[in-house]
Amino acid sequence: MKKLTPILLVFFSILSGIAWIDFSNTTHPVIFKVPKGWPAPVYDFKSNPLTQEGIALGKQLFYDGQLSKDGKISCGSCHQQFGAFATFDHALSHGYNNAQTSRNAPALQNLAWQKTFMADGGINHLDLQPLAPLTAPNEMAESIENVIRKLKADTHYASLFKAAFGDPLINTERLGKALSQFILTLVSANSKYDQVMRGEASFILPEQLGYEIFQKKCVSCHPPPFFSDFNFRNIGLPIDNFLKDKGRMKITNNPKDSLLFKVPSLRNIAITAPYEHDGRFNSLLNVLEHYRKNMVLGPTTDSLLKNRLPLSNFEIGQIRAFLNTLTDSSFLQEPKFAAPGIGNNRKAPIHEH
Amino acid sequence: MRLIKYLKPFIKLFFIAVLFGSFCADNKNLIIKFHHIIGVQQLVLNDSLENSFGEKIVVTKFKYYISNITLINEKKESIPIHNSYFLIDEADSASKKISIPFKWKKITGIEFLVGVDSIKNCSGIQTGALDPMLGMFWTWNSGYIFAKLEGSSTASTVAGHYFTYHIGGYKAGENAARKIKLSIPSISKNNTLNIQVDLNKWFTAVNDIRISQTPICNNPGALAMQFADNYAHLFTIK
Repeated sequence: MKKLTPILLVFFSILSGIAWIDFSNTTHPVIFKVPKGWPAPVYDFKSNPLTQEGIALGKQLFYDGQLSKDGKISCGSCHQQFGAFATFDHALSHGYNNAQTSRNAPALQNLAWQKTFMADGGINHLDLQPLAPLTAPNEMAESIENVIRKLKADTHYASLFKAAFGDPLINTERLGKALSQFILTLVSANSKYDQVMRGEASFILPEQLGYEIFQKKCVSCHPPPFFSDFNFRNIGLPIDNFLKDKGRMKITNNPKDSLLFKVPSLRNIAITAPYEHDGRFNSLLNVLEHYRKNMVLGPTTDSLLKNRLPLSNFEIGQIRAFLNTLTDSSFLQEPKFAAPGIGNNRKAPIHEH
Repeated sequence: MRLIKYLKPFIKLFFIAVLFGSFCADNKNLIIKFHHIIGVQQLVLNDSLENSFGEKIVVTKFKYYISNITLINEKKESIPIHNSYFLIDEADSASKKISIPFKWKKITGIEFLVGVDSIKNCSGIQTGALDPMLGMFWTWNSGYIFAKLEGSSTASTVAGHYFTYHIGGYKAGENAARKIKLSIPSISKNNTLNIQVDLNKWFTAVNDIRISQTPICNNPGALAMQFADNYAHLFTIK
Protein backbone atom coordinates (compact mmCIF):
# COMPACT_ATOMS: atom_id res chain seq x y z
CA MET A 1 0.00 0.00 0.00
CA LYS A 2 2.78 2.36 1.02
CA LYS A 3 4.58 1.66 -2.20
CA LEU A 4 1.51 2.23 -4.30
CA THR A 5 0.54 5.58 -2.87
CA PRO A 6 3.28 7.61 -4.57
CA ILE A 7 2.64 5.78 -7.85
CA LEU A 8 -1.04 6.62 -7.68
CA LEU A 9 -0.20 10.20 -6.74
CA VAL A 10 2.01 10.60 -9.78
CA PHE A 11 -0.65 8.95 -11.96
CA PHE A 12 -3.42 11.29 -10.80
CA SER A 13 -1.25 14.37 -11.05
CA ILE A 14 -0.51 13.48 -14.68
CA LEU A 15 -4.23 12.92 -15.29
CA SER A 16 -5.18 16.25 -13.77
CA GLY A 17 -2.40 17.88 -15.76
CA ILE A 18 -3.95 16.58 -18.99
CA ALA A 19 -7.34 17.80 -17.82
CA TRP A 20 -5.90 21.22 -17.12
CA ILE A 21 -4.37 21.43 -20.60
CA ASP A 22 -7.73 20.49 -22.08
CA PHE A 23 -9.53 23.17 -20.12
CA SER A 24 -7.08 25.85 -21.16
CA ASN A 25 -8.04 25.08 -24.74
CA THR A 26 -11.78 25.62 -24.40
CA THR A 27 -13.68 28.22 -26.35
CA HIS A 28 -15.67 31.13 -25.02
CA PRO A 29 -19.38 30.57 -25.64
CA VAL A 30 -21.49 33.41 -27.01
CA ILE A 31 -25.19 33.49 -26.31
CA PHE A 32 -27.32 34.37 -29.32
CA LYS A 33 -29.65 37.14 -28.18
CA VAL A 34 -33.15 37.02 -29.62
CA PRO A 35 -34.58 40.56 -29.76
CA LYS A 36 -37.60 41.05 -27.52
CA GLY A 37 -40.82 39.89 -29.13
CA TRP A 38 -39.10 38.02 -31.97
CA PRO A 39 -39.81 34.35 -32.61
CA ALA A 40 -37.33 31.58 -31.81
CA PRO A 41 -34.59 31.22 -34.45
CA VAL A 42 -34.83 28.51 -37.10
CA TYR A 43 -31.07 27.85 -37.06
CA ASP A 44 -30.06 24.93 -34.86
CA PHE A 45 -27.46 26.52 -32.59
CA LYS A 46 -26.97 23.20 -30.76
CA SER A 47 -25.30 21.75 -33.85
CA ASN A 48 -23.01 24.77 -34.12
CA PRO A 49 -22.75 26.62 -30.79
CA LEU A 50 -21.55 30.20 -31.15
CA THR A 51 -18.17 30.98 -29.64
CA GLN A 52 -15.97 34.07 -29.74
CA GLU A 53 -13.33 32.00 -31.54
CA GLY A 54 -15.80 30.58 -34.07
CA ILE A 55 -17.22 34.00 -34.87
CA ALA A 56 -13.72 35.48 -35.23
CA LEU A 57 -12.73 32.70 -37.63
CA GLY A 58 -15.95 33.17 -39.58
CA LYS A 59 -15.27 36.89 -39.92
CA GLN A 60 -11.73 36.22 -41.09
CA LEU A 61 -13.05 33.84 -43.76
CA PHE A 62 -15.87 36.20 -44.75
CA TYR A 63 -13.35 38.92 -45.61
CA ASP A 64 -10.73 36.61 -47.18
CA GLY A 65 -10.24 36.81 -50.95
CA GLN A 66 -8.60 33.37 -50.94
CA LEU A 67 -12.08 31.93 -51.12
CA SER A 68 -12.19 33.01 -54.78
CA LYS A 69 -10.24 31.76 -57.78
CA ASP A 70 -8.21 34.94 -58.34
CA GLY A 71 -7.83 35.72 -54.65
CA LYS A 72 -9.57 39.07 -55.05
CA ILE A 73 -13.22 38.40 -54.27
CA SER A 74 -14.28 37.75 -50.70
CA CYS A 75 -17.82 37.34 -49.38
CA GLY A 76 -17.43 40.89 -48.13
CA SER A 77 -16.72 42.18 -51.65
CA CYS A 78 -20.38 41.81 -52.60
CA HIS A 79 -21.84 41.91 -49.09
CA GLN A 80 -20.70 45.32 -47.87
CA GLN A 81 -21.51 46.45 -44.37
CA PHE A 82 -22.33 50.00 -45.44
CA GLY A 83 -24.86 48.50 -47.86
CA ALA A 84 -26.46 46.32 -45.16
CA PHE A 85 -24.32 43.48 -46.52
CA ALA A 86 -25.77 43.80 -50.02
CA THR A 87 -23.70 45.28 -52.89
CA PHE A 88 -24.08 49.02 -52.61
CA ASP A 89 -25.52 50.71 -55.72
CA HIS A 90 -25.16 47.64 -57.97
CA ALA A 91 -27.97 45.84 -59.76
CA LEU A 92 -25.71 42.83 -60.22
CA SER A 93 -22.37 42.28 -58.49
CA HIS A 94 -18.92 41.77 -59.96
CA GLY A 95 -17.65 38.22 -60.18
CA TYR A 96 -14.50 36.45 -61.33
CA ASN A 97 -12.90 37.68 -64.57
CA ASN A 98 -15.27 40.62 -65.12
CA ALA A 99 -18.33 38.41 -64.91
CA GLN A 100 -21.59 39.64 -63.50
CA THR A 101 -23.69 37.74 -61.01
CA SER A 102 -27.09 36.47 -62.09
CA ARG A 103 -29.02 38.17 -59.31
CA ASN A 104 -28.95 41.21 -57.06
CA ALA A 105 -26.96 40.44 -53.90
CA PRO A 106 -29.37 40.23 -50.97
CA ALA A 107 -28.75 42.05 -47.69
CA LEU A 108 -27.38 39.69 -45.05
CA GLN A 109 -29.33 40.23 -41.88
CA ASN A 110 -31.38 38.18 -39.43
CA LEU A 111 -30.36 34.95 -41.17
CA ALA A 112 -30.99 32.81 -38.08
CA TRP A 113 -34.72 33.05 -38.81
CA GLN A 114 -34.66 31.93 -42.43
CA LYS A 115 -35.47 28.39 -43.51
CA THR A 116 -34.20 28.68 -47.08
CA PHE A 117 -31.68 30.89 -48.81
CA MET A 118 -31.36 32.56 -52.22
CA ALA A 119 -34.15 34.35 -54.08
CA ASP A 120 -35.34 30.93 -55.30
CA GLY A 121 -34.99 29.22 -51.90
CA GLY A 122 -32.71 26.59 -53.44
CA ILE A 123 -30.47 26.27 -50.41
CA ASN A 124 -31.85 24.46 -47.39
CA HIS A 125 -29.29 25.21 -44.69
CA LEU A 126 -27.29 28.30 -43.78
CA ASP A 127 -24.03 26.33 -43.45
CA LEU A 128 -24.35 25.27 -47.10
CA GLN A 129 -25.11 28.74 -48.41
CA PRO A 130 -21.50 29.96 -48.90
CA LEU A 131 -20.71 26.97 -51.16
CA ALA A 132 -22.97 28.38 -53.89
CA PRO A 133 -21.25 31.75 -54.54
CA LEU A 134 -17.90 30.11 -53.87
CA THR A 135 -18.34 27.63 -56.73
CA ALA A 136 -20.43 29.70 -59.16
CA PRO A 137 -18.24 30.40 -62.25
CA ASN A 138 -19.55 33.98 -62.46
CA GLU A 139 -19.00 34.69 -58.76
CA MET A 140 -15.97 33.40 -56.86
CA ALA A 141 -15.33 30.63 -59.43
CA GLU A 142 -13.37 28.41 -57.07
CA SER A 143 -13.69 24.75 -56.11
CA ILE A 144 -14.28 23.75 -52.50
CA GLU A 145 -11.27 21.45 -52.72
CA ASN A 146 -9.00 24.34 -53.73
CA VAL A 147 -10.30 26.62 -51.01
CA ILE A 148 -9.60 23.97 -48.37
CA ARG A 149 -6.13 23.46 -49.88
CA LYS A 150 -5.40 27.21 -49.75
CA LEU A 151 -6.62 27.52 -46.17
CA LYS A 152 -4.46 24.55 -45.13
CA ALA A 153 -1.43 26.16 -46.77
CA ASP A 154 -2.05 29.40 -44.85
CA THR A 155 -0.51 28.60 -41.44
CA HIS A 156 -2.45 31.45 -39.86
CA TYR A 157 -5.65 29.41 -40.24
CA ALA A 158 -4.41 26.31 -38.41
CA SER A 159 -4.38 28.24 -35.13
CA LEU A 160 -7.72 29.93 -35.87
CA PHE A 161 -9.41 26.58 -36.62
CA LYS A 162 -7.80 25.06 -33.53
CA ALA A 163 -9.07 27.92 -31.39
CA ALA A 164 -12.58 27.57 -32.80
CA PHE A 165 -12.93 23.79 -33.04
CA GLY A 166 -10.34 22.34 -30.64
CA ASP A 167 -8.00 20.94 -33.27
CA PRO A 168 -6.44 22.39 -36.42
CA LEU A 169 -8.40 20.21 -38.87
CA ILE A 170 -9.73 22.29 -41.79
CA ASN A 171 -12.63 20.84 -43.78
CA THR A 172 -15.76 21.91 -45.64
CA GLU A 173 -18.00 21.42 -42.63
CA ARG A 174 -15.90 23.68 -40.43
CA LEU A 175 -15.62 26.28 -43.18
CA GLY A 176 -19.42 26.42 -43.44
CA LYS A 177 -19.98 26.38 -39.70
CA ALA A 178 -17.47 29.15 -39.02
CA LEU A 179 -18.96 31.36 -41.75
CA SER A 180 -22.42 30.68 -40.31
CA GLN A 181 -21.24 31.70 -36.86
CA PHE A 182 -20.19 35.10 -38.13
CA ILE A 183 -23.16 35.83 -40.39
CA LEU A 184 -25.61 34.66 -37.72
CA THR A 185 -24.41 37.55 -35.59
CA LEU A 186 -25.59 40.01 -38.27
CA VAL A 187 -28.81 40.87 -36.48
CA SER A 188 -30.52 44.13 -37.39
CA ALA A 189 -33.06 45.07 -34.73
CA ASN A 190 -32.30 48.64 -33.81
CA SER A 191 -33.82 50.79 -36.54
CA LYS A 192 -35.92 53.81 -35.69
CA TYR A 193 -38.95 51.55 -36.24
CA ASP A 194 -37.66 49.16 -33.54
CA GLN A 195 -36.98 52.06 -31.20
CA VAL A 196 -40.53 53.35 -31.72
CA MET A 197 -41.93 49.89 -31.02
CA ARG A 198 -39.86 49.72 -27.83
CA GLY A 199 -41.17 53.14 -26.80
CA GLU A 200 -37.74 54.76 -27.07
CA ALA A 201 -38.57 57.07 -29.98
CA SER A 202 -41.60 58.32 -31.84
CA PHE A 203 -42.53 58.61 -35.51
CA ILE A 204 -42.84 62.05 -37.08
CA LEU A 205 -46.17 62.56 -38.86
CA PRO A 206 -45.25 61.27 -42.37
CA GLU A 207 -43.64 58.19 -40.83
CA GLN A 208 -46.74 57.54 -38.74
CA LEU A 209 -49.06 58.00 -41.73
CA GLY A 210 -46.77 55.80 -43.82
CA TYR A 211 -46.81 53.13 -41.11
CA GLU A 212 -50.63 53.11 -41.17
CA ILE A 213 -50.74 52.81 -44.98
CA PHE A 214 -48.09 50.09 -44.81
CA GLN A 215 -50.26 48.16 -42.35
CA LYS A 216 -53.13 48.24 -44.85
CA LYS A 217 -51.32 47.63 -48.14
CA CYS A 218 -47.93 46.00 -47.65
CA VAL A 219 -47.91 44.07 -44.41
CA SER A 220 -49.47 40.83 -45.67
CA CYS A 221 -46.29 39.94 -47.54
CA HIS A 222 -43.88 42.05 -45.49
CA PRO A 223 -44.88 41.37 -41.87
CA PRO A 224 -42.65 42.53 -38.98
CA PRO A 225 -40.31 41.80 -37.36
CA PHE A 226 -38.53 40.61 -40.55
CA PHE A 227 -40.69 42.59 -42.99
CA SER A 228 -40.91 39.44 -45.09
CA ASP A 229 -42.99 36.31 -44.74
CA PHE A 230 -40.15 34.50 -46.60
CA ASN A 231 -42.69 33.05 -49.05
CA PHE A 232 -42.24 32.94 -52.81
CA ARG A 233 -44.43 35.28 -54.83
CA ASN A 234 -44.75 36.69 -58.34
CA ILE A 235 -45.18 40.45 -58.14
CA GLY A 236 -45.67 40.91 -61.88
CA LEU A 237 -42.09 41.58 -62.95
CA PRO A 238 -41.82 40.49 -66.60
CA ILE A 239 -38.99 38.03 -67.28
CA ASP A 240 -35.66 39.55 -68.27
CA ASN A 241 -34.73 38.28 -71.73
CA PHE A 242 -31.04 38.02 -70.94
CA LEU A 243 -31.16 36.51 -67.46
CA LYS A 244 -34.20 34.31 -68.26
CA ASP A 245 -34.65 33.82 -64.53
CA LYS A 246 -37.76 31.85 -63.63
CA GLY A 247 -37.06 32.06 -59.90
CA ARG A 248 -38.55 29.35 -57.73
CA MET A 249 -39.35 27.19 -60.76
CA LYS A 250 -35.61 26.65 -61.26
CA ILE A 251 -35.69 24.65 -58.04
CA THR A 252 -39.08 22.93 -58.18
CA ASN A 253 -39.51 22.48 -61.97
CA ASN A 254 -43.15 23.33 -61.30
CA PRO A 255 -44.70 25.79 -63.80
CA LYS A 256 -46.85 27.13 -60.95
CA ASP A 257 -43.62 28.49 -59.47
CA SER A 258 -42.62 30.34 -62.61
CA LEU A 259 -41.42 33.89 -61.81
CA LEU A 260 -41.90 33.44 -58.07
CA PHE A 261 -39.14 34.94 -55.94
CA LYS A 262 -38.67 35.07 -52.20
CA VAL A 263 -40.21 38.15 -50.57
CA PRO A 264 -37.20 40.25 -49.50
CA SER A 265 -36.94 41.82 -46.08
CA LEU A 266 -37.51 45.59 -46.08
CA ARG A 267 -35.09 46.22 -43.25
CA ASN A 268 -32.43 48.74 -44.31
CA ILE A 269 -34.28 49.10 -47.59
CA ALA A 270 -33.30 52.76 -48.00
CA ILE A 271 -29.69 51.75 -48.57
CA THR A 272 -30.09 48.48 -50.49
CA ALA A 273 -30.97 49.95 -53.89
CA PRO A 274 -31.22 48.82 -56.65
CA TYR A 275 -34.24 46.64 -55.99
CA GLU A 276 -35.80 43.30 -56.98
CA HIS A 277 -34.06 39.98 -57.68
CA ASP A 278 -32.22 41.43 -60.67
CA GLY A 279 -31.86 44.96 -59.37
CA ARG A 280 -33.95 46.38 -62.20
CA PHE A 281 -35.33 49.31 -60.20
CA ASN A 282 -33.01 52.09 -59.14
CA SER A 283 -35.23 53.69 -56.56
CA LEU A 284 -38.13 53.01 -54.25
CA LEU A 285 -40.22 55.31 -56.45
CA ASN A 286 -39.68 52.88 -59.36
CA VAL A 287 -40.73 50.00 -57.15
CA LEU A 288 -43.91 51.63 -55.94
CA GLU A 289 -44.71 52.83 -59.45
CA HIS A 290 -44.34 49.21 -60.59
CA TYR A 291 -46.85 48.03 -58.00
CA ARG A 292 -49.49 50.57 -58.92
CA LYS A 293 -49.06 50.79 -62.71
CA ASN A 294 -46.47 48.59 -64.40
CA MET A 295 -47.18 45.12 -63.06
CA VAL A 296 -47.60 42.50 -65.78
CA LEU A 297 -50.36 40.17 -64.65
CA GLY A 298 -49.85 36.53 -65.56
CA PRO A 299 -51.04 33.08 -64.50
CA THR A 300 -48.73 32.95 -61.49
CA THR A 301 -49.14 36.56 -60.29
CA ASP A 302 -49.75 36.62 -56.56
CA SER A 303 -53.44 36.51 -55.62
CA LEU A 304 -52.99 39.53 -53.36
CA LEU A 305 -51.88 41.59 -56.36
CA LYS A 306 -54.48 40.52 -58.93
CA ASN A 307 -55.70 44.16 -59.06
CA ARG A 308 -52.18 45.54 -58.76
CA LEU A 309 -51.61 47.76 -55.73
CA PRO A 310 -53.52 51.04 -55.95
CA LEU A 311 -51.46 53.80 -54.35
CA SER A 312 -51.88 57.56 -54.53
CA ASN A 313 -48.91 59.92 -54.84
CA PHE A 314 -49.58 60.99 -51.27
CA GLU A 315 -49.50 57.39 -50.05
CA ILE A 316 -46.27 56.69 -51.88
CA GLY A 317 -44.64 59.68 -50.16
CA GLN A 318 -45.74 58.56 -46.70
CA ILE A 319 -44.76 54.91 -47.31
CA ARG A 320 -41.28 56.05 -48.28
CA ALA A 321 -41.04 58.09 -45.10
CA PHE A 322 -41.96 54.99 -43.11
CA LEU A 323 -39.55 52.72 -45.01
CA ASN A 324 -36.71 55.10 -44.13
CA THR A 325 -37.34 54.30 -40.46
CA LEU A 326 -36.21 50.71 -41.16
CA THR A 327 -32.61 51.85 -41.59
CA ASP A 328 -30.51 50.55 -38.72
CA SER A 329 -27.44 52.77 -38.58
CA SER A 330 -26.01 50.94 -35.56
CA PHE A 331 -26.02 47.76 -37.69
CA LEU A 332 -24.32 49.52 -40.60
CA GLN A 333 -21.58 50.87 -38.34
CA GLU A 334 -21.12 48.04 -35.84
CA PRO A 335 -17.32 47.57 -35.52
CA LYS A 336 -17.77 43.86 -34.68
CA PHE A 337 -18.99 43.20 -38.21
CA ALA A 338 -16.22 45.10 -39.99
CA ALA A 339 -13.28 43.53 -41.80
CA PRO A 340 -10.53 42.46 -39.39
CA GLY A 341 -7.75 45.02 -39.29
CA ILE A 342 -9.59 47.50 -41.48
CA GLY A 343 -12.50 48.61 -39.36
CA ASN A 344 -15.62 50.18 -40.71
CA ASN A 345 -14.30 53.56 -41.69
CA ARG A 346 -15.32 52.77 -45.25
CA LYS A 347 -18.40 54.93 -45.46
CA ALA A 348 -20.94 54.52 -48.21
CA PRO A 349 -20.90 57.21 -50.88
CA ILE A 350 -23.67 59.80 -50.74
CA HIS A 351 -26.62 58.77 -52.90
CA GLU A 352 -30.02 60.06 -53.83
CA HIS A 353 -32.28 57.04 -53.97
CA MET B 1 2.74 -11.69 -0.70
CA ARG B 2 0.83 -8.69 0.48
CA LEU B 3 1.41 -7.07 -2.86
CA ILE B 4 -0.01 -10.05 -4.75
CA LYS B 5 -3.11 -9.91 -2.56
CA TYR B 6 -3.46 -6.27 -3.44
CA LEU B 7 -2.98 -6.97 -7.12
CA LYS B 8 -5.54 -9.79 -7.24
CA PRO B 9 -8.41 -7.67 -8.59
CA PHE B 10 -6.08 -6.25 -11.20
CA ILE B 11 -5.10 -9.74 -12.31
CA LYS B 12 -8.80 -10.59 -12.60
CA LEU B 13 -9.35 -7.46 -14.65
CA PHE B 14 -6.47 -8.45 -16.87
CA PHE B 15 -8.05 -11.81 -17.63
CA ILE B 16 -11.42 -10.20 -18.30
CA ALA B 17 -9.71 -7.84 -20.70
CA VAL B 18 -8.02 -10.73 -22.48
CA LEU B 19 -11.34 -12.55 -22.74
CA PHE B 20 -13.04 -9.42 -24.05
CA GLY B 21 -10.24 -9.00 -26.53
CA SER B 22 -10.75 -12.50 -27.81
CA PHE B 23 -14.46 -11.74 -28.31
CA CYS B 24 -13.52 -8.67 -30.28
CA ALA B 25 -11.16 -10.73 -32.39
CA ASP B 26 -14.20 -12.81 -33.31
CA ASN B 27 -15.51 -9.83 -35.25
CA LYS B 28 -15.35 -10.44 -38.96
CA ASN B 29 -15.37 -8.10 -41.87
CA LEU B 30 -17.66 -8.40 -44.82
CA ILE B 31 -15.83 -7.24 -47.92
CA ILE B 32 -18.06 -5.99 -50.70
CA LYS B 33 -16.48 -5.62 -54.11
CA PHE B 34 -18.24 -3.72 -56.87
CA HIS B 35 -17.55 -4.86 -60.43
CA HIS B 36 -18.56 -2.40 -63.12
CA ILE B 37 -19.47 -3.80 -66.50
CA ILE B 38 -21.54 -2.82 -69.49
CA GLY B 39 -23.14 -5.93 -70.96
CA VAL B 40 -20.30 -8.36 -71.61
CA GLN B 41 -17.66 -5.62 -71.60
CA GLN B 42 -15.61 -4.61 -68.57
CA LEU B 43 -16.09 -0.92 -67.81
CA VAL B 44 -12.83 0.88 -68.47
CA LEU B 45 -12.78 4.66 -68.24
CA ASN B 46 -11.85 6.50 -71.43
CA ASP B 47 -12.18 3.29 -73.44
CA SER B 48 -14.49 2.81 -76.40
CA LEU B 49 -17.55 0.78 -75.39
CA GLU B 50 -21.08 0.22 -76.59
CA ASN B 51 -24.44 0.21 -74.78
CA SER B 52 -27.26 -2.16 -75.63
CA PHE B 53 -28.78 0.39 -78.06
CA GLY B 54 -25.56 0.08 -80.05
CA GLU B 55 -24.55 3.61 -79.09
CA LYS B 56 -20.79 4.00 -78.98
CA ILE B 57 -19.75 5.45 -75.62
CA VAL B 58 -16.66 6.58 -73.80
CA VAL B 59 -17.25 6.78 -70.07
CA THR B 60 -15.13 9.35 -68.25
CA LYS B 61 -16.80 9.32 -64.86
CA PHE B 62 -18.98 6.86 -62.98
CA LYS B 63 -19.61 7.27 -59.29
CA TYR B 64 -22.50 6.71 -56.92
CA TYR B 65 -23.44 6.63 -53.26
CA ILE B 66 -24.20 3.44 -51.34
CA SER B 67 -25.68 4.16 -47.92
CA ASN B 68 -27.86 2.88 -45.08
CA ILE B 69 -26.54 -0.65 -45.35
CA THR B 70 -28.46 -3.34 -43.48
CA LEU B 71 -27.14 -6.87 -43.15
CA ILE B 72 -29.45 -9.85 -42.61
CA ASN B 73 -28.11 -12.73 -40.52
CA GLU B 74 -28.93 -16.45 -40.45
CA LYS B 75 -31.85 -15.77 -38.05
CA LYS B 76 -33.38 -13.35 -40.57
CA GLU B 77 -32.59 -10.45 -38.26
CA SER B 78 -31.89 -7.11 -39.90
CA ILE B 79 -28.89 -5.31 -38.51
CA PRO B 80 -28.54 -1.73 -39.73
CA ILE B 81 -24.94 -0.57 -40.07
CA HIS B 82 -24.73 2.75 -38.32
CA ASN B 83 -23.56 5.73 -40.35
CA SER B 84 -22.71 3.73 -43.47
CA TYR B 85 -22.06 6.09 -46.39
CA PHE B 86 -19.78 5.11 -49.23
CA LEU B 87 -18.91 6.84 -52.46
CA ILE B 88 -18.07 4.23 -55.08
CA ASP B 89 -15.93 5.71 -57.82
CA GLU B 90 -14.77 3.83 -60.93
CA ALA B 91 -11.70 6.07 -61.02
CA ASP B 92 -10.66 5.04 -57.50
CA SER B 93 -10.22 1.28 -57.22
CA ALA B 94 -9.93 1.41 -53.44
CA SER B 95 -13.44 2.88 -53.27
CA LYS B 96 -14.85 -0.17 -55.09
CA LYS B 97 -14.05 -2.37 -52.14
CA ILE B 98 -15.85 -1.64 -48.89
CA SER B 99 -15.53 -3.36 -45.56
CA ILE B 100 -18.26 -3.81 -42.98
CA PRO B 101 -17.67 -5.41 -39.57
CA PHE B 102 -20.08 -8.12 -38.41
CA LYS B 103 -19.98 -10.63 -35.58
CA TRP B 104 -22.55 -13.32 -36.19
CA LYS B 105 -22.34 -16.64 -37.94
CA LYS B 106 -23.65 -16.01 -41.38
CA ILE B 107 -24.96 -13.27 -43.63
CA THR B 108 -27.94 -14.22 -45.74
CA GLY B 109 -28.84 -10.90 -47.26
CA ILE B 110 -27.96 -7.25 -47.69
CA GLU B 111 -30.02 -4.12 -48.20
CA PHE B 112 -28.74 -0.70 -49.08
CA LEU B 113 -29.71 2.58 -50.60
CA VAL B 114 -28.37 3.87 -53.87
CA GLY B 115 -28.20 7.52 -52.92
CA VAL B 116 -28.36 9.45 -49.66
CA ASP B 117 -31.30 9.57 -47.25
CA SER B 118 -33.26 12.82 -47.04
CA ILE B 119 -32.06 13.58 -43.49
CA LYS B 120 -28.45 13.91 -44.60
CA ASN B 121 -29.66 16.04 -47.52
CA CYS B 122 -30.99 18.73 -45.23
CA SER B 123 -28.72 18.75 -42.19
CA GLY B 124 -26.06 21.18 -43.34
CA ILE B 125 -22.53 20.24 -44.36
CA GLN B 126 -21.43 16.62 -43.80
CA THR B 127 -17.94 15.15 -43.65
CA GLY B 128 -16.24 11.99 -44.92
CA ALA B 129 -17.83 10.39 -47.97
CA LEU B 130 -20.55 13.05 -47.84
CA ASP B 131 -18.20 16.06 -47.93
CA PRO B 132 -19.58 18.44 -50.62
CA MET B 133 -15.96 18.86 -51.69
CA LEU B 134 -16.19 15.49 -53.45
CA GLY B 135 -18.29 17.03 -56.22
CA MET B 136 -21.41 15.00 -55.52
CA PHE B 137 -23.42 17.93 -54.17
CA TRP B 138 -25.52 20.60 -55.88
CA THR B 139 -24.53 23.85 -54.20
CA TRP B 140 -27.24 26.00 -55.85
CA ASN B 141 -30.08 23.57 -55.17
CA SER B 142 -29.06 21.83 -51.94
CA GLY B 143 -28.88 18.09 -52.22
CA TYR B 144 -26.62 15.21 -53.08
CA ILE B 145 -25.99 13.90 -56.56
CA PHE B 146 -26.66 10.22 -55.91
CA ALA B 147 -25.09 8.92 -59.10
CA LYS B 148 -22.97 10.48 -61.81
CA LEU B 149 -22.31 9.05 -65.26
CA GLU B 150 -20.39 11.23 -67.70
CA GLY B 151 -18.71 10.67 -71.01
CA SER B 152 -19.09 11.17 -74.72
CA SER B 153 -20.92 9.36 -77.45
CA THR B 154 -21.23 9.86 -81.19
CA ALA B 155 -24.97 9.49 -80.56
CA SER B 156 -25.09 12.62 -78.39
CA THR B 157 -26.51 15.70 -80.05
CA VAL B 158 -25.06 18.31 -77.72
CA ALA B 159 -21.79 20.22 -77.98
CA GLY B 160 -18.73 17.97 -77.77
CA HIS B 161 -21.00 14.91 -78.10
CA TYR B 162 -21.04 14.73 -74.33
CA PHE B 163 -23.53 12.99 -72.14
CA THR B 164 -23.90 14.13 -68.57
CA TYR B 165 -26.13 12.36 -66.10
CA HIS B 166 -26.24 13.79 -62.59
CA ILE B 167 -29.03 11.99 -60.78
CA GLY B 168 -30.34 12.98 -57.37
CA GLY B 169 -33.24 14.57 -55.50
CA TYR B 170 -34.53 13.90 -51.98
CA LYS B 171 -37.83 15.78 -51.83
CA ALA B 172 -41.21 14.05 -51.92
CA GLY B 173 -42.18 13.18 -55.47
CA GLU B 174 -38.63 13.47 -56.74
CA ASN B 175 -36.73 11.20 -54.36
CA ALA B 176 -34.17 9.39 -56.48
CA ALA B 177 -32.77 7.18 -53.71
CA ARG B 178 -33.54 3.51 -54.39
CA LYS B 179 -33.47 0.61 -51.97
CA ILE B 180 -31.66 -2.49 -53.16
CA LYS B 181 -32.36 -5.88 -51.56
CA LEU B 182 -30.11 -8.79 -52.40
CA SER B 183 -30.22 -12.24 -50.85
CA ILE B 184 -26.92 -13.98 -50.42
CA PRO B 185 -27.18 -17.74 -51.06
CA SER B 186 -23.63 -18.43 -49.97
CA ILE B 187 -20.58 -16.44 -49.16
CA SER B 188 -16.95 -17.21 -49.78
CA LYS B 189 -14.70 -18.28 -46.91
CA ASN B 190 -12.95 -14.94 -46.81
CA ASN B 191 -16.34 -13.21 -46.47
CA THR B 192 -16.16 -11.44 -49.79
CA LEU B 193 -19.31 -10.47 -51.59
CA ASN B 194 -19.00 -9.63 -55.27
CA ILE B 195 -21.63 -7.32 -56.65
CA GLN B 196 -21.92 -6.83 -60.35
CA VAL B 197 -23.02 -3.42 -61.62
CA ASP B 198 -24.19 -3.53 -65.22
CA LEU B 199 -24.33 -0.07 -66.80
CA ASN B 200 -26.50 -1.36 -69.64
CA LYS B 201 -29.35 -1.33 -67.14
CA TRP B 202 -28.69 2.37 -66.50
CA PHE B 203 -30.15 2.93 -69.98
CA THR B 204 -32.71 0.12 -70.19
CA ALA B 205 -33.78 -1.59 -66.93
CA VAL B 206 -37.26 0.00 -66.66
CA ASN B 207 -37.17 3.00 -68.96
CA ASP B 208 -35.41 3.00 -72.31
CA ILE B 209 -33.24 6.12 -72.29
CA ARG B 210 -31.12 6.67 -75.38
CA ILE B 211 -28.15 9.04 -75.37
CA SER B 212 -29.28 10.22 -78.80
CA GLN B 213 -32.51 11.52 -77.29
CA THR B 214 -31.50 12.34 -73.72
CA PRO B 215 -27.85 13.31 -73.40
CA ILE B 216 -28.27 15.45 -70.27
CA CYS B 217 -29.91 15.21 -66.87
CA ASN B 218 -28.66 17.46 -64.11
CA ASN B 219 -31.71 18.30 -62.02
CA PRO B 220 -33.92 16.41 -59.64
CA GLY B 221 -37.32 15.74 -61.23
CA ALA B 222 -39.22 13.41 -63.55
CA LEU B 223 -36.26 12.48 -65.76
CA ALA B 224 -34.01 11.83 -62.76
CA MET B 225 -36.74 9.54 -61.40
CA GLN B 226 -36.65 7.52 -64.63
CA PHE B 227 -32.90 7.08 -64.30
CA ALA B 228 -33.35 6.16 -60.63
CA ASP B 229 -35.87 3.46 -61.53
CA ASN B 230 -33.25 2.13 -63.90
CA TYR B 231 -30.32 2.20 -61.49
CA ALA B 232 -32.41 0.35 -58.94
CA HIS B 233 -31.69 -2.70 -61.14
CA LEU B 234 -27.96 -2.23 -61.62
CA PHE B 235 -26.89 -4.53 -58.82
CA THR B 236 -26.71 -8.33 -58.85
CA ILE B 237 -24.71 -10.83 -56.82
CA LYS B 238 -21.92 -12.23 -58.94
